[in-house]
Amino acid sequence: MIELIQQIIDGLGRGGIYALLALGIAVIFGVMHLINFAHGELITVSAYTSYWLFASGLNWWFIAPTVIVVAVLTAVIIEFVAFRWVRGAPDFTMLMTSFGVHFLVQALFVMYVSANFRQFPRPGWIFDTWRIGGLSLEVFDLAVIVATLVTLLGTYWLLQRTMFGVSLRAAAEDFDTARLMGIRSNRVIRGAFVLSGVLAGVAAVFWLMRSGQAGPTAGLNPMLKGVLAALIGGLGSLSGAVLGGITLGLVEVLLISRLPGGTAGLTDGIVFLLIALLFVFRPQGLITVRRVERV
Amino acid sequence: MQADRVRHAVAPALGSGLLFLFLVAGSLLYAATGDAAANSLVTQMLINAVVVLGIQIYIGNTGVLSFGHIGFGAIAGYAFAICAISPERKLRQIPNAPFGLAEVDFTPLQSGLIAVTLTVIVAFLIGLALSRSGARSGAVAAVVITLALLFVVHEVARNWIDLTRGGKTGLSFSPLGNATLQGKLPIYLILLGAIGLARLFKETRAGRLAQAAREDDLAARVMGIDPAVQQMIALLLSVVVVSAGSALRVFELGSINPRLFFFDYTLLTLTMLIVGGRNSVVGALTGVLIITVGSELTRNLSEVDIQGMNWLLRDGLTDIFLGGAMLGFMILRPAGLLGDWELDHWSLRRLRRTEPPPVPPPSADGDKTPTTVLKVTNVTVHFGGYQALADAGLEAASGEIVGLIGPNGAGKTTLLNVITGLVESDNGQTALGGVILTGVSPHVIARSGLARTFQNFRLFSALSVRENIGVVRLVAKHFRRDRPLPPVGALMAQAGLWEQRDRRASELDYGNARRLELARAAAAGPEFLLLDEPTSGMSDSESRAMIDQVRSMAKLIGAGVVVIDHDLNFITGICDRVYVLDQGRVIAVGTPAEIAANPAVQTAYLGTAE
Repeated sequence: MIELIQQIIDGLGRGGIYALLALGIAVIFGVMHLINFAHGELITVSAYTSYWLFASGLNWWFIAPTVIVVAVLTAVIIEFVAFRWVRGAPDFTMLMTSFGVHFLVQALFVMYVSANFRQFPRPGWIFDTWRIGGLSLEVFDLAVIVATLVTLLGTYWLLQRTMFGVSLRAAAEDFDTARLMGIRSNRVIRGAFVLSGVLAGVAAVFWLMRSGQAGPTAGLNPMLKGVLAALIGGLGSLSGAVLGGITLGLVEVLLISRLPGGTAGLTDGIVFLLIALLFVFRPQGLITVRRVERV
Repeated sequence: MQADRVRHAVAPALGSGLLFLFLVAGSLLYAATGDAAANSLVTQMLINAVVVLGIQIYIGNTGVLSFGHIGFGAIAGYAFAICAISPERKLRQIPNAPFGLAEVDFTPLQSGLIAVTLTVIVAFLIGLALSRSGARSGAVAAVVITLALLFVVHEVARNWIDLTRGGKTGLSFSPLGNATLQGKLPIYLILLGAIGLARLFKETRAGRLAQAAREDDLAARVMGIDPAVQQMIALLLSVVVVSAGSALRVFELGSINPRLFFFDYTLLTLTMLIVGGRNSVVGALTGVLIITVGSELTRNLSEVDIQGMNWLLRDGLTDIFLGGAMLGFMILRPAGLLGDWELDHWSLRRLRRTEPPPVPPPSADGDKTPTTVLKVTNVTVHFGGYQALADAGLEAASGEIVGLIGPNGAGKTTLLNVITGLVESDNGQTALGGVILTGVSPHVIARSGLARTFQNFRLFSALSVRENIGVVRLVAKHFRRDRPLPPVGALMAQAGLWEQRDRRASELDYGNARRLELARAAAAGPEFLLLDEPTSGMSDSESRAMIDQVRSMAKLIGAGVVVIDHDLNFITGICDRVYVLDQGRVIAVGTPAEIAANPAVQTAYLGTAE
């Protein structure tokens, strides 16, 4: 029992980060119908930013907010350079565009920095644990859970209570109608990218605190986790994305602790397989967003 | 018929041969002028061409984006290596291989056949999963499933050390990893096969039906096409080619490791496919050529040392070129350089000039065909809390033209959707000639004899007018053999589309697009044509002309008609009987004159007198 509670808390710590990533992907999908396979590049750019800032002697208290700003800027730039030009294009074109961005950013880092991973120090407190009863709680997990909650509450407030949030939700519901009702598409889409940048930035801070390295492919893993979580949640649904992220975190932790020795290296493969199976049997994801196609 | 054979078989076959000769001649010329490096570059390019053509067969015809083909390549590559590497070498590399695989000894040809067979079996299972997930053009589920394949195969290759020797070293044919492929003949043969297969598949029944589904999945199903079957055929053929190419690649390199068939190669092959044009065979090959030349140039350039240019000429330039090519083409020219143009298409222009105008075929004799009745009863549909249809129904007999009118939101289109199987009703029943069609898939309903048009067009937009009709007629020739099926030319002439016959459906103006919808539905050889607002957006004179068009088309194929429209003049001008729907209920039935006089109809449809 204690073990299970322990694992659930670990899973929430993992899943919180996934939820933030997935939510960023779901927001973009909502307004553009684009699955952003370039979402991980926000993490890559953040990772290099952290590396350089560390190299110039700064610490996490300065780096964390900077990373968020950088992630937002990157998101806006990617939208301006690439995604703006394929709005409304067929799904095939948009998917390949986001892969193109993914590969191009990766190539830029290979070219101008190095193909190798660079290490940077992780904050000391992330390894601290608190013992309560039989539980050993990692301070890091608790920090992630709290930060995720705060970010999600902030996002919720933004979406429910501000003009921008209402426009965004309207656009996610029905983009064309929202435009006809006078919502400015440029502004909503750019806003969605800013929001996804903020969410990715917060996720990046924690992701990088744990991994402590920067490399051209640093964004691949977080991107995959975010996309998978968003897919579990049904892509278009914002609350689905959050649930999807947490589900993914829990499933991973449970798998790792239960897989027989020697096969733990296959966790990612098994998770991928499970999600593919989910799609075979429930193509609309766990949380169904009902869309009536008009004919 | 003669022209059809030239168009779909002779010209494509000759074009493929020509393409192969160009490619081989160019390669030989280049290899002859260069050194060993040039020779190996050419070899790799030809092998990549095989793999890209394989991917083209699937992605090009179905429009389903697959990231998994290189995963199939990995399976084939490993199967080939494990079979073909000599037992003594295997005992040194993988002594503990399961199933006694360390001792087996096959020739390269046998190993290749084993690799292709095994991979095709895996592809069949993946194909089942894809069709279960409802794969269609741009489908997310397909992306996830194929990506999962790529990942899982990669993880297994890295972790099943006993079989694959893991990720670090991989398997090799010789201690030095030298090339083991002697001579280029196997490559030429497989390349010729791949070009011919890819080009001719586009013209086969399965290929053409898959392309229709690629353009519009829903319209294809409503025309009697089952996309799952066509996609499966495309997948298996494409995997045959990809796995043959992958086995060649392993043989040529003399070794295999998991990285050889992973993201980098996926990016390379997809970029090749997209740059030239994924819907075209000559396009795919052009892409292979451009990307090979470009990669080679950028690789050489990155080693050049020019003062002031070091910011650009450095390692990684090739990656930038690849990523940039993919992104640039998606933004600026998503269909690729050549779109869906093929080498043999230039010959069709001549064919077109000599094409005689069609002779109108005799109309189907209404007396000879037995009367069939379409009977729809007690249909109720809810969308959430909204009741779209309440106990609605209609009845029509062959030879009859029945109208369905009612204000916006009355449930007319919903009733049509229920009849064609697109919307499930809560209760009620559709029967055609006594056969119950409730709860049956749309493509089966279409094959049973109901064909429809759409209010907002759903044409196969990248296909020509001729192909839009031709592809549906292909289905009809199979399932509606006992019906009068006029030739494609006659249908085009009847719909007034003869002059437009080789234009893409997406280029047609409004009226022509409506007429193409009608002709395409007629090509399905139905018992009943179900027309959803055939005159919406048309001028008075156009809609008057449409009356004749619908009548003569129905006569030509000997079908009854159920037509929805707003235009009272059109309805009264064409219908024998009219049903009036209001708020999901049938409020009146009768001849146009009776309906016009019915006070309930006037209230519902025309509003109360002011």
